[in-house]
Amino acid sequence: MNKWWWLLLIIFCWTAAGFAIFGSIQHQNGGDTTLPRAAERIVCMAPNLTEIVFALGLEKEIIGVTLDSDYPPAALTKLKVGTFWQPNIEAVIAAKPDLVITLGFEQQKNIAERLKRIGYNSLTMNIEKVKELFEALEKIGAATGKQRRANELEYDLRKKLNNLSVLVSTNDRIKVLWVVQREPLRVAGRDTFINEMIELAGGENAIGSTVHKYPPIGAEQVIVCGAEVIIEPAMKHDDPAKQQASALQYWSRFKKLPAVANKRIYVIQDDTVSRLGPRLYEGTETIARCLKPELFAN
Amino acid sequence: MRIEVMIELLTPRKLVVRIILAAGALAVVMFICSLVGTESVSLKAVFGAADEEAPVNPDYEIFVRVRLPRIILATIVGGALACSGVVFQALLRNPLADPYILGISSGCGLGATIVVISGLNWTLWGRSPIAVFAFAGALGTVWLVWFVGRLTGKFHVTGLLLAGVVINAFFSAVIMFLTSIAKAEHVYATIFWLMGNMTEEDFLTLWLGAGFVVGGTTVLFYISPQLNALSFGEEDAKSMGINTARTRTIAFGVAAAITAIAVSLSGLIGFVGLVIPHGVRLVFGPDHRQLLPLSGIVGAIFLVVADTVARIIVAPAQLPVGVVTAIVGGPFFLVLLVKYSRKVSWLK
Repeated sequence: MNKWWWLLLIIFCWTAAGFAIFGSIQHQNGGDTTLPRAAERIVCMAPNLTEIVFALGLEKEIIGVTLDSDYPPAALTKLKVGTFWQPNIEAVIAAKPDLVITLGFEQQKNIAERLKRIGYNSLTMNIEKVKELFEALEKIGAATGKQRRANELEYDLRKKLNNLSVLVSTNDRIKVLWVVQREPLRVAGRDTFINEMIELAGGENAIGSTVHKYPPIGAEQVIVCGAEVIIEPAMKHDDPAKQQASALQYWSRFKKLPAVANKRIYVIQDDTVSRLGPRLYEGTETIARCLKPELFAN
Repeated sequence: MRIEVMIELLTPRKLVVRIILAAGALAVVMFICSLVGTESVSLKAVFGAADEEAPVNPDYEIFVRVRLPRIILATIVGGALACSGVVFQALLRNPLADPYILGISSGCGLGATIVVISGLNWTLWGRSPIAVFAFAGALGTVWLVWFVGRLTGKFHVTGLLLAGVVINAFFSAVIMFLTSIAKAEHVYATIFWLMGNMTEEDFLTLWLGAGFVVGGTTVLFYISPQLNALSFGEEDAKSMGINTARTRTIAFGVAAAITAIAVSLSGLIGFVGLVIPHGVRLVFGPDHRQLLPLSGIVGAIFLVVADTVARIIVAPAQLPVGVVTAIVGGPFFLVLLVKYSRKVSWLK
């Protein structure tokens, strides 16, 4: 048995040596998120973050975005550092950023942590609710020296949303079924920002609270949900007219559903309603136009 | 082929020369791959004295902090998976065996999924909870399979395999349940992890990972003569005076442990543990004294190359490395199979 003890001893020494050599390096250069000065070279790892940073007037400072950042059009000319899901850390480093902004869930948090380990500053934002969007605006504004602009944006956005809710607010909220995907049928649940936008636009989610964020539902639930309006966001590259036609055909099987009976099925462009960013108002207004077109007739 | 013939065929000198040649090839491949990437890096700038003028040296950071750790990680993981694939194929006497066959994949997948979905947020020695849970899940599942397998009889291979398959299916169902109730972003994050997620690690992790994998491989190499005997069957091995139960326990435990280390470092990378041992066996023969070290080195080479392809082929984005290992490894293996299978009796 002697030899096994030797092997164990060697592995133990190796481990101890590892801690001795590398243990101290690990905590040496963890980047903090507070910068001594406003960031001048910013990389954004998500399309809605790109929109926020552009809206703060940092068009010059932003140097890198992900491939899926397509708004505003100026974002298309920026350096690409991978996709939202598969960021390329080498490209981020090569851009020599002094601030990298990411979202808060695994794939994104992960790249922020890796960059911190190498010594880059990063800011991780959770933007899953409207409230969090406003918080993110403030934080990013503070990190980039654009507090004033951030406050203005927030004020403006809140005012427009308020005006809209005054306009649409009636006692009868319209029941909306928000279709994420048709086969299998999956809709937006209550615990989503889509739900918040629907409510801001004077509607109500036709689906009650569910375990799932985006619950898959069966024909039974569709029949009993009593949706008065069905909204399908169109995929970016699809032809909306084509999808509208196929939507009408798909939903025709539920003839009793008020939305189908009254032909209130809308296919809308998805970019303002699929990301939570500074175009929140535009997205909400688009929904409001579907729910209460008579208010926007003029 | 008789076992005596097989052992005579491989002289120690031949073995050492082959291992040295393979290790040299690995070093060359690692060097070349470290120069390939989406960003061009000049070695002069990496080691040059750029520090005085510029506060940051992106070339240095890309090369030393990102690319090199990732290549070393691929080496460790590739070697670990290929070696444990060899051992599982010998132990289970099943050519379809790979490191994941006894439920390790779904066990660590479940651990990772739980972390991603619950949004746990702490670190243990700089490791994210995903790695810790994946490791625990992998070892826990292997223990469970081993335990159930024992209940079916003293090392009954069929019982063990069935227990592995069923536990795999069960945990996969739990993973599917969890992802079906999760948010879309969490589902995506989990899927990428399940497809193999190679990122740069800090040097301490690499150092420890390398230590444990090399240590485990040493143990396996040490018992490779017994593995030779075992692969010819229980009775043969016993008649040669080998304590089969002990050999199996050691081989099984060590192979499971290095697989668990590999998956906790890099997610589930399929195909390496299945294809590399077969490929090496087809080309160089079935003697485990040679099969084990050569598979380890070839597995490392294969994964380093596959990961380099994954880094650059859809630039500026990256592919999960598991996609590349399957797409590159599958056809390559079929060619080997057709070309060499007539020479080898093991598969018949």
